[in-house]
Amino acid sequence: MTTSDPILELRNVTKFYGDFKAVDDVSFSLPRGCIHGFLGPNGAGKTTTIRMILEIIKPTSGTISVLGRASALEVRGRIGYLPEEKGLYKKMKAWSVIAYFATLKGLSRPAARRRAFELLERYGLKDFAEKPTDALSKGMGQKVQVLAAIAHDPEFVILDEPFSGLDPVNQQVMEEIIRDMAARQRTVLFSTHVMQHAERLCDRILLIAKGRKILDGTLAEARRTIPRRVQIETADDIAPIRELSEVLSVSRLEGNGAAEGEGAPSRWELKIRESADPQSILQACFAKGIRLRSFNQSEPTLHDVFVHLVGPEAKEASFR
Amino acid sequence: MRYAFLVAWREYAENARTKGFWIGIFLLPMILFLSGYVPMLLERKGRPTRHFVLADQSGQFEKTIEGALEKRHQRRVLDALRDYAKKHAQPQDPAAARSTAGKRDALEELGEPGPDAVDRFIRRGGREFYLREIESRLKPGAPKFEEPKRQLQRVPVPADLRSGSDLSVLAQALKPYLRGEKKIDADGHPAGLFAAILIPADVERQIVRPGLPGPSTNSSPGGIEYWSSNLADDNLRDEVREAINAEVRRREYVTRGMDLALIAQVEGTRVPFANLNPKKEEGQEKVSGTDVLRQWAPVAFVYLLWIAIFSIMQMLLNNVIEEKSNRIIEVLLSSVTPGELMMGKLAGIAAVGLTMVGAWVLSLIGILAWKAGAQSEVAGQLYSVVRTSNLLPAFVIYFFFGYLMYAALILALGSVCNTLKEAQNYMGMITMIMTVPLLTMMFIPKDPNGTLATALSWVPLYTPFIMMNRAAADPPLFDLVGTMVLLIGTAVGALWMAGKIFRIGVLRAGQPPKLVELVRWLRRKE
Repeated sequence: MTTSDPILELRNVTKFYGDFKAVDDVSFSLPRGCIHGFLGPNGAGKTTTIRMILEIIKPTSGTISVLGRASALEVRGRIGYLPEEKGLYKKMKAWSVIAYFATLKGLSRPAARRRAFELLERYGLKDFAEKPTDALSKGMGQKVQVLAAIAHDPEFVILDEPFSGLDPVNQQVMEEIIRDMAARQRTVLFSTHVMQHAERLCDRILLIAKGRKILDGTLAEARRTIPRRVQIETADDIAPIRELSEVLSVSRLEGNGAAEGEGAPSRWELKIRESADPQSILQACFAKGIRLRSFNQSEPTLHDVFVHLVGPEAKEASFR
Repeated sequence: MRYAFLVAWREYAENARTKGFWIGIFLLPMILFLSGYVPMLLERKGRPTRHFVLADQSGQFEKTIEGALEKRHQRRVLDALRDYAKKHAQPQDPAAARSTAGKRDALEELGEPGPDAVDRFIRRGGREFYLREIESRLKPGAPKFEEPKRQLQRVPVPADLRSGSDLSVLAQALKPYLRGEKKIDADGHPAGLFAAILIPADVERQIVRPGLPGPSTNSSPGGIEYWSSNLADDNLRDEVREAINAEVRRREYVTRGMDLALIAQVEGTRVPFANLNPKKEEGQEKVSGTDVLRQWAPVAFVYLLWIAIFSIMQMLLNNVIEEKSNRIIEVLLSSVTPGELMMGKLAGIAAVGLTMVGAWVLSLIGILAWKAGAQSEVAGQLYSVVRTSNLLPAFVIYFFFGYLMYAALILALGSVCNTLKEAQNYMGMITMIMTVPLLTMMFIPKDPNGTLATALSWVPLYTPFIMMNRAAADPPLFDLVGTMVLLIGTAVGALWMAGKIFRIGVLRAGQPPKLVELVRWLRRKE
């Protein structure tokens, strides 16, 4: 296996719960050494997909290969996992929880113990190493759990909602943990609802909704899936612009305040083809003699991408 | 295997660290020990002196009562002196025995049992005589003999109440004392009045004589009145009643011209009654205390088995629910297969249970061996029963398979419930089913191979308990083997089902599944 092989590959994976199709013919592959964001509305099938990747449950049909193997359990020592719902053995000490999970991943007992203390110290929990986990705050407990997931220094880490329930400071620590791993050429796949995290951290995005894959690609590719938006402000007639082939739609923006009235400038939002260059719109405006008071082009955010692609589904009541 | 072992090790280490585990380990032997020892101790030391007043207007029974109570006290002195001699005096060495041949050894005589031991003791001169006799043979450093306190002590009627001659007035006046509102004077110390015995002047006329004219048995009570607010301790009442009735009868014999010596002879007449057991070897059929114990000892083991299985079931349930409700299970299942997890759990918790039961059995044997000396006959007999019978091996085997079967139920139950509360409802049902062997525990030794015992033995859920219960009665081989095969089959089947339910159940959230759904899980192919 070379480093160019995908670290994870799903082919036509489908999962039924009874009559309910939780995952519907999903195929994708993740290249090594990137941070992947796994996005999707509630009930999209993210957790089910992750559980299938980890072989906690079996797909109804389709194949999954992790680190080149058909079974995640064969390579369990090279995978780390943080589940969506967080919990620890309440009476166990922080260090021994981390060490226990590390031994289940193949570390020897002394090595696991050493590693547990090392991680707790690095992420500021040294003083809590000997505390039972139910004496820790929620955020601390979650950090301990993340450390337990990565204690064996896995090549591939899957984090299900790692940011949920963390305060901003701890969210930053979490980001730091993820970046640390990426810096050491580890592959991270994490699911989240918070687009800002995905936007800041991810190299690649995987978006699913209603069990289907909607999008799979780099952040730039993701942005390119939705029309770009250009805002212009002018008092002139914009009819010539409407006719441009790059322009998909034009809508007038409300709320220009006091300047409303005859001859006053209006603000317009143009949606243009993903492939179009906003510069060409600007040139067209000059060419058609439209005097612009302002011209503003904005990159779509991941939030826009998300809402655009899965907005209707996300609004539906969660069905699982 | 390595992973199952890691899981098992954690289960063991974490459970063995809990307080509950250690309390469990120490509690049972402690209770066993205390329940045997404390009553004895209380009997000897703790029982307070009971003060009572006696008003005998007839003047006929005062002596009788005092005599009886004195004899009772001397019996206790004798017992105490025997214990004292056993502990602190050296037995006579053979040389000395030869030199004093013909003369009986006082120590030997003291230890001799029999109904007339107390009379002999009193005749010989009581404790002074014997203490003098054994003085020379006391081990160095032996403490002084302490005479036990008198348990039943007569005190005079308070002076201000003495004037009245009417017993009902006296009874009224004594009530505040008897209720504990007033203290009575006992040798200068204030003390609570335990009882009052009031004998009317005309008690003679109230004696019931069947077949002769006089008060009939069902007329108004009258007679001697025994007043006490303590209904539980009836020593004084029984002692006094027996003494008076014996005296009344003795006088009756005399008035009717019967020969007292003759009567004593007649009353001593008896025919030897031997208790034999056909199952014992030729020539040794005589039933001893050990044999009786041997038949009843399984009951103790059934109880032990029940407590052991029940308490580790709870442990297992808590454990599965914790992992499930915390969703730790998901992390575990990303590292180990459900099969490995289940095996690890079963083995880990079994090890916890075995440690506990092992500690119990060892401490039980320890206590018995320690007490088995000359001091306690029963402990010695029990000890030999436990050592020589098949009870211990049977216990271990039934514990093992019983545990596996019930553990499978618990694993399945725990895996489909989300909270302990939810699980407790179902656990209640299991507990109820499990109480049956506890209820039948005491009956089965009386008819160990009867219909009830046999029928229950074939219910796999009850097999371990009932067969343990029958272990001393040599159940038919067919029952023994058949129920064992059924039990093992059930345990294996239950584990298989639990495995199926477990792997689906542990990942499920929400309502516990319906029965139909469970059946579907069982039929699902991997």
